[in-house]
Amino acid sequence: MAKDLMFQNEIKEAVRDAYAGISTGAGETVARWLYSDEELAEVPAGAVAWALGVGNPVRYALLQPGEDVLDVGSGGGIDSILAARRVGPQGSVIGLDILEEMCERGRRHATEAGVNGWTQFRRGEMEDIPLPDGSIDVVISNGVMNLSARKSRALAEIYRVLRPGGRVSMADLTVEGELPPEIANDQSAWAG
Amino acid sequence: MAERVFAAKLQGVGFEDVWVGGHRPSGIDEASHYPLFTEEVIELMRRTLPRERHDHVATGVVVKARKPRTRGRTKRTT
Ligand SMILES: C[S@@+](CC[C@H](N)C(=O)[O-])C[C@H]1O[C@@H](n2cnc3c(N)ncnc32)[C@H](O)[C@@H]1O
Repeated sequence: MAKDLMFQNEIKEAVRDAYAGISTGAGETVARWLYSDEELAEVPAGAVAWALGVGNPVRYALLQPGEDVLDVGSGGGIDSILAARRVGPQGSVIGLDILEEMCERGRRHATEAGVNGWTQFRRGEMEDIPLPDGSIDVVISNGVMNLSARKSRALAEIYRVLRPGGRVSMADLTVEGELPPEIANDQSAWAG
Repeated sequence: MAERVFAAKLQGVGFEDVWVGGHRPSGIDEASHYPLFTEEVIELMRRTLPRERHDHVATGVVVKARKPRTRGRTKRTT
């Protein structure tokens, strides 16, 4: 058990260090595969350049004006900004990220997008979300859940902060079958 | 994580109406755009994965679910 926890902490640190070490996102080429031209026109170029997701959770979330949204692992803020446009100033968006530098990027991009009045970025971990029970209508995340060594714990935290009837919309990569062990055990493959 | 494992984990903590859609194949060329994948790991993938998997190593999905309106069961997890 203690060994498991040590292993989980090692993974968390490896993931955090990996994301702390990058100087750019996946960039516009990848963003164009995931988002429509109209969606990309809604976000500043910096947020597009910093996109690191693997899907488009906002498109599927069917957000309504006035809803309170949490973006888990918000990175440079592309989905937080898209969500903020949909919920409007009657709603709110919180981007949560383990890295303060990602939160800083999110804040800068939200300010450029003009949605900073109802969008904030907080440093925190998905396995221990710094929000009260039942305070959120919709949780979105993009390319993040796979990074947790404690996925059930992270999902239980998401469940806790949602209001009754609240929704999740999460994009991630799934792998069916085995990957060769050299790849499955590679730290950059885990973090990526 | 496999798709059914993801769905089962959501149900395991109390979510209902779990839906998985938006399937999109993701291959080695796509992975090479992400800064987290080093050149070495991209090269390793090309070397160790069979050619027919190069364009489809993983599948991008969107998973949706809902917290029950009435108080559902919440499992404590560590
Ligand atoms: C693949 S990036 C996705 C960023 C963003 N969702 C997007 O689509 O561009 C993963 C993000 O999750 C953050 N992250 C990693 N582990 C985390 C954790 N345990 N809790 C919160 N955020 C985490 C990283 O710092 C990074 O910003």
